[in-house]
Amino acid sequence: MGRTFAGGTFMPPIAEPMTNPQPVIEQDTRSADELAPTYYVICWNDPVNLMAYVTHVFMKLFGWDRQKARKHMLEVHKKGKSVLARESAEKAEFYVHELQKYKLHATMEAVE
Amino acid sequence: MRLVAQTSQSWQYHLDQSEADILLGMLKQFPFNEMEPAQISRKGQDAQAAERQKLLAELLAEHRQELRKLGLGLLAADKWEQRENGCRLTLDAGARETLLQVLNDIRVGCWHALGEPELEDYRPTAKKELWQYNLMEVAGYFEANLLEPEE
Repeated sequence: MGRTFAGGTFMPPIAEPMTNPQPVIEQDTRSADELAPTYYVICWNDPVNLMAYVTHVFMKLFGWDRQKARKHMLEVHKKGKSVLARESAEKAEFYVHELQKYKLHATMEAVE
Repeated sequence: MRLVAQTSQSWQYHLDQSEADILLGMLKQFPFNEMEPAQISRKGQDAQAAERQKLLAELLAEHRQELRKLGLGLLAADKWEQRENGCRLTLDAGARETLLQVLNDIRVGCWHALGEPELEDYRPTAKKELWQYNLMEVAGYFEANLLEPEE
């Protein structure tokens, strides 16, 4: 129904039907193996990094809230390691670089 | 050292004069130790892992150079205010992060120089060990105080 104005009912003109162009989807030429998250980012325990510091770094780097960051920190502390992420090689390497800049003992390990 | 004021953008700490003198000395002399070797993977031993290892070592060396420059920036007069009973140190988020990283680099570097011991029952004996151990503990003291408001 059209909108009603003081002078009567206004009918909007009927638009010409439009045909949306089909989006062009580029094919990703990388293999499924390359795209799959095939590396674990692992943080290992050490006796030197302070617990509060490790929590701080996890929050800063992964954008986690304190509760999640603390959970992983405690896992590192009590179990000796924590898997922080499962990522492609490129992203896993990035995270390891950043964690090691903070002097945390982090490595990337292939998912078997 | 204690937090005396905080906004979303800045942190202000009060340091006794002796604390300020020690922290300033640490910033001036950083880094104290050679960089410890870093490992990108425990299992990966192939050519790709070796390449990644090399890249990591280069990146960490660059980062330490940058950290040294940023650490010296923390000595800027506008960050320190002399008070009757000590100093006020005002840090924005970036400067606070730099200070944390410098302190932790010192702490981990000292631990590595000590042979990466378990610290619970560790007691230094030799003079050089005492120096590294005390420096490690002092860096940890400042780190803990910087982070205390978060806990």
